[in-house]
Amino acid sequence: MTLETVGFWVVAVVLLASSLAVVLTPNLFHAVLYLAAALVATGVVFLLLDQPFLFAVQLLLYAGGVVTIVVFAIMLTERLVGERLVQTSRHLVNGAIVSAAVFVGIAGFLIRSPLDGARPAQSADVTAAIGRALFGPFAITLELLGVLLVVALLGALHFARSEE
Amino acid sequence: MASSIGLPLAVLALPFIAFVLLAVAAPLRRAGRAAGLVSILTMALAFAAALTVWALGLVFEATWTWIPADGGPIASVGLMVDSLSQAMLVLVTLVSLLVQIYSLAYLHDEPPASLGRYYTYQSLFAFSMLGLVLAPGFLQMFIFWELVGLCSYLLIGYWYERPAAARAAVKAFWITKLGDVGFIIGIVLLWSATGTFEFTELFDKAQSVSGLPLIMFLIYLGAVGKSAQFPLHVWLPDAMEGPTPVSALIHAATMVTAGVFMVTRAEPLFALVPEVLTLIAWVGAFTALLAATMACVEGDIKRVLAYSTVSQLGYMMAAAGAGAAQAGFLHLLTHGLFKALLFLAAGAVIHAVGTNDVFRMGGLFRAMPHTGIVFIVGTLALAGVPPLAGFFSKEAVLGGVWEAHLTGPFLMLALTALLTAFYMFRVVFIAFFGRAHAGGHPHEAPWLMRGPLWILALLTVLVGLRLAAGGLAAGGVEGHEEAPGWLAPLSVGLALAGFLLAWAMYQRGVIEPARVATALGPLDFMARRRYGLDTLYAGLYRGIMLGFSRLIGWIDRYLVDGLLNVLSALTLRAGARLRGIQSGKAQDYVYGVAFGVLLLIVWAQLWR
Amino acid sequence: MIGLSAYLTLAALVFSIGLFGVLTRRNAVGILLGIELMLNAVNINLVAFARFSGNVTGLVFTLFTIAITVAEVAVGLAIVIAIFRVRRTVEADRLDLLRG
Repeated sequence: MTLETVGFWVVAVVLLASSLAVVLTPNLFHAVLYLAAALVATGVVFLLLDQPFLFAVQLLLYAGGVVTIVVFAIMLTERLVGERLVQTSRHLVNGAIVSAAVFVGIAGFLIRSPLDGARPAQSADVTAAIGRALFGPFAITLELLGVLLVVALLGALHFARSEE
Repeated sequence: MASSIGLPLAVLALPFIAFVLLAVAAPLRRAGRAAGLVSILTMALAFAAALTVWALGLVFEATWTWIPADGGPIASVGLMVDSLSQAMLVLVTLVSLLVQIYSLAYLHDEPPASLGRYYTYQSLFAFSMLGLVLAPGFLQMFIFWELVGLCSYLLIGYWYERPAAARAAVKAFWITKLGDVGFIIGIVLLWSATGTFEFTELFDKAQSVSGLPLIMFLIYLGAVGKSAQFPLHVWLPDAMEGPTPVSALIHAATMVTAGVFMVTRAEPLFALVPEVLTLIAWVGAFTALLAATMACVEGDIKRVLAYSTVSQLGYMMAAAGAGAAQAGFLHLLTHGLFKALLFLAAGAVIHAVGTNDVFRMGGLFRAMPHTGIVFIVGTLALAGVPPLAGFFSKEAVLGGVWEAHLTGPFLMLALTALLTAFYMFRVVFIAFFGRAHAGGHPHEAPWLMRGPLWILALLTVLVGLRLAAGGLAAGGVEGHEEAPGWLAPLSVGLALAGFLLAWAMYQRGVIEPARVATALGPLDFMARRRYGLDTLYAGLYRGIMLGFSRLIGWIDRYLVDGLLNVLSALTLRAGARLRGIQSGKAQDYVYGVAFGVLLLIVWAQLWR
Repeated sequence: MIGLSAYLTLAALVFSIGLFGVLTRRNAVGILLGIELMLNAVNINLVAFARFSGNVTGLVFTLFTIAITVAEVAVGLAIVIAIFRVRRTVEADRLDLLRG
């Protein structure tokens, strides 16, 4: 029982539990908080995969940014209604069946593939490699991403306008 | 021979040209009198050509292929000119011409457009009748037969705004159509057995045909309808709703004689089936007697003449059935003359007095002597008084029936002769003699009407004299022994008896008509109600035809339409259910995407 | 040893749970949360593959995915707020204007 194995199983349990909680809690606020937990757990998974840079990015953008935005949105839509949003789900059984089927399908692929090799050795500075890649082969993609973010910003601004 | 076709072709083509001209050139037709003059001119030329054909004694046959096929044409059209058709050509063109001239005066009150329509129909009718008479085969004869029926419908219903006239036209059409169904079935059966429609070929091949009696009976049915034999005679009295000149032309001299003509034309075929001939004779004689009884109680002058026509047609058919077809044909010719005369004279009377009812006329002889004289001439001819034409033809018919040893029909025809004289002189005495009615100033007819009347009267006398001089052979009746010596005095005696009876009852008032009516109670009752035949037909129509129509209607509404309605309802319901897929909710569409992904996974797994 | 398949299985599980959330949540924001989970699972997948194949491209892809997800959440929530203004509800069942 190495540390890695224990760590993986703990993180896996946390991740799965919080994911289930996200989709099953009646209270939307609680769901968002559980989502935050799930996102942090994902970040830890990245750590387990020797990617500290991505762990940081995950925490910053996802757990920090996205969760904040969603909380604001809930507050806005909830405030105007004036009552706590109660979240009940519909067609639980149908959804469960379909999701289970999708999982089984994917698992089917996984079973058949030979995937249990050892991890190859990793270069020391992954972050630098990422940076070099970003400004090298993926430079144009980076620029386009920037354009996309600007467009999203403008779109969000437009939608968020109040009608005058 | 090629040149001799020109004349008969001209006879046929001239009225057709007039018809096409009047039908197409609407301004000419709407001009009324001008249309009449066009029609009369062509008819006069056609008459001249027909007369020439008859005088020259042209005999030939010319046919053109109509429907070609391997091994000979299926159908041909053409002209067949022989003594039979020569005589008919002259009769048809002559009476058509006189009637059309007469109509100019009789219908002078009509609006010009209607008058033009009348003459268009007249020309079409002349063409149809001539085509029928000249037909070399059954097919062409049937085509023109139907055309004649159509013209009869158009002309009876000339005053189509009158409901009675419209009904009468439809009734005539339908009743004759009943007979025509048998006719066409018979023709087709004959064709399928022998492979030809042409008369000359049929006469050769007919012996070998099995089931010939049935076929000939079916063909005879056509004549039953067209020539108003019992029980399809009911349309003729009602057809009097048409203008009187139309009645004179169609229901005296030409159209109704088409049946007799057909039987005479196909005589060699009928001779092969004596059973059918006997039936024809019995039906003819019975019709004659039946119609005569109905004429005795009729008060409408045109209806009397209509029943008289039915009766005389029975005479002609009886002669044909007795094997004396030529005697019947002679009677057809003479009857055509004097019946047309009687109708036209009646028309003059109606035109002058304004009513058809005999009992509202009286003492007309003083006011209209010309009309009176010609009417009496016609009556004498119809009653069979020598030396007028009717006597000879009637005697020929009676002789033929006697020779065939058909005693029943002979007795019926003899009784009919007595009744014929009776009811005609009854009309003469009531209308032309006796006290004149107060009110109304009957006047003599204009010369346009009187002219044809005198011509016909003169012809009746002349033809009679010709027959008197040359014997029946002059009338084309050959090959019969001389009739029994007592026949001539018998027929004259019967005529005289009828005359005396009418004179006693209506002129002298010696015998009360009312008492005779009560004495013959049941007969009088039935005759007045036309023996219930009209009611029977109406009931049958309502019961069977309308019932059948209702059944078909039900099937159409509930089964045929029902099937389609069910299909459409199912489609609509299926569509409504399918609509549910488009719920508009994004989550449902995600389900769709998930299903698609699953399908892809399954497909990818299986494709390995 | 925790092999690649373990990480991939984990990702698949999270993906399915996210799908379940998308299919069953009534609130539009709840649906968006489910979508977040699904994208997260994708990220785990990408990083796991990148690590076990030694190819840095997977990591770059992950970065891009995270950035794009942020943009998408922003726009998505803006739309939800706009709909809320008009229809006074964010319940997914009520938003069926595209009904056939």
